[in-house]
Amino acid sequence: MQPVYVTAAAQFLPGPPVGNDAMADHIGRLSPEAERFGRLTLRQNRIRTRHYAIRPDGSSDWTVARLAGEAVRGLIAGAEVDRERIGFLATATTQNDLMVPGLASGVHAESGLPPIELASLQSVCASSMMALKAAALQVAAGEHRAAIAVGAEFSSRYFRPDHYHGTSTVQPDGTLPGDAEFLRWTLSDGAAALMIEDRPAAHGLSLRIDWISLRSFADRFAPCMTGGAVRGRDGSVTPWSLYPGGAAAAAEAGAFQLRQDVDALYRMLPVWMGEFMRLVDEGRIDPQEVDWFLCHFSAHSLREEMVRLATRAGCMIPEERWFTNLYDKGNVGAAALSLMIDDLMRSGRLEPGQRILCAVPESGQCIMAYAGLTVVGDTQ
Amino acid sequence: MTAITMERNTLTEATQRGLARAWIEFESALVQVPLISRMLGHRLRLEDYQRLLVNLRQQVVEGSRWISRAASNLGPEHEELRSLFVRHAVAEHRDYRLLEDNYVATGGAIEDIRSAPKNIGSEALSAFMYQAASREDPIALLGAMFIIEGLGERLAAPWSAAIREQLGLGDEAVSFLAYHGANDGDHLDMFDHALALAVTDARTGDEIVRHARIVARLYRLQLEEIDNV
Repeated sequence: MQPVYVTAAAQFLPGPPVGNDAMADHIGRLSPEAERFGRLTLRQNRIRTRHYAIRPDGSSDWTVARLAGEAVRGLIAGAEVDRERIGFLATATTQNDLMVPGLASGVHAESGLPPIELASLQSVCASSMMALKAAALQVAAGEHRAAIAVGAEFSSRYFRPDHYHGTSTVQPDGTLPGDAEFLRWTLSDGAAALMIEDRPAAHGLSLRIDWISLRSFADRFAPCMTGGAVRGRDGSVTPWSLYPGGAAAAAEAGAFQLRQDVDALYRMLPVWMGEFMRLVDEGRIDPQEVDWFLCHFSAHSLREEMVRLATRAGCMIPEERWFTNLYDKGNVGAAALSLMIDDLMRSGRLEPGQRILCAVPESGQCIMAYAGLTVVGDTQ
Repeated sequence: MTAITMERNTLTEATQRGLARAWIEFESALVQVPLISRMLGHRLRLEDYQRLLVNLRQQVVEGSRWISRAASNLGPEHEELRSLFVRHAVAEHRDYRLLEDNYVATGGAIEDIRSAPKNIGSEALSAFMYQAASREDPIALLGAMFIIEGLGERLAAPWSAAIREQLGLGDEAVSFLAYHGANDGDHLDMFDHALALAVTDARTGDEIVRHARIVARLYRLQLEEIDNV
């Protein structure tokens, strides 16, 4: 197979950074209790600023396709490759603007690219790795010489009070259950894109993609983060389209809200770490050799027990080698992987020969993805 | 650190990794077991818990016996491990009585739990344990202990809480699980020490991990085959 490289990266984050005190201006205010819960969540995730594509009045100039399109335009503007030579576009997101057609069509329309092969990857955070792997394999197989993987999220629109009022999710005191409130204070908006080519960039550093591993554990986990589902008390999940009474009844039952079972998320942690151990045993990861660990999960949120498990098994990467932009740029789901790679490439801290390990866990129904990259110097 | 201790550390880490992977596979796959799935889905019935007690008891009653047999087969080079096995056997050898008490507390008859045969999974698990314990220097059984102790450390407490909550039972009906949930943490510290003593070469480490994987699968089989005698 042809070696493949990330030769350029770009990001688009809408509007100015929004601090914790101003968050509620954008996602709206449900109740004082909800904001207390929010402050608690923010203490745990430690996010200080993020970006929103929604205005305080609930209006927006953006769609997720336009956010992604803007990142792709920025990518092409900064890349060495001509747009005519780019043969493949893979998109990643949690929720497309429309149910039909796929996001890749919408991004293509916004991107200024000529006719092109597409793939729309829809999942949660790990869709970013699905898109990256699709793009990398297309180039590695010789099908195209240049490809783009872009991830984008516009989740703030689902967090506005109008999205909850009149549904059974809102409790009599104006609060939401924890599994609905948690994500309002966790997710935000943005897009980031990577250029994948069959050669390193002539100028500046590139990242060779050594391997990508993605595995689902849906054989043993129920849906943990959902949208479009009416959840029963026993944890059962009914798709909105099969809910008795139709779409209006499903909406009233809260089907169109994002929910995250936080307890189930913590039950997934050992499985995510088990994947790391598998890759160590198979010789793909050598924890000693990792110079940069880009994890879509902050070191402090690993519980002590997990750190102990990892340390005993020789799998703990020292915290000083973790790279994160979570605290300043927020959790942008499917855009987070490319956003981290872009910030690392622009950090001025990379040197040829360094090894980068990317980790993207997805709580949706339990996926774990890892990728190994090596920094290579320019060819000029 | 000398080259030899570094190599020993690397070996122990590799074994810990193998054991952790065996445990993670075991724990995450347990949700596919019908009885556990009902428990996690808040759909447990009293009969489910009673059948669990009856089926577990037939395996737990053998626990200290296979550990004792393993201890008797550990040669002079493994004295420290042997004393650890012996202590472990003593600590566990009347645990099955808690299961009997719990069964009676849920309204079951003592003679029913005492006279029930092993289910097919328990037969396989027990047969494997005795067979492995009968071999010379059965160090690899540390892998078996790791899985059994892990059940106590990681699953017993949440299971006992779920069972109490769903069935409205008192302490006297869940003491077996509650006891293990509260006490097995110390056992695992001891286990780390034993593992560091035992893993002197890669083959031993691999065998410990292999025994953990076998026991994990057979333990799950025991839960899958509830009442299938």
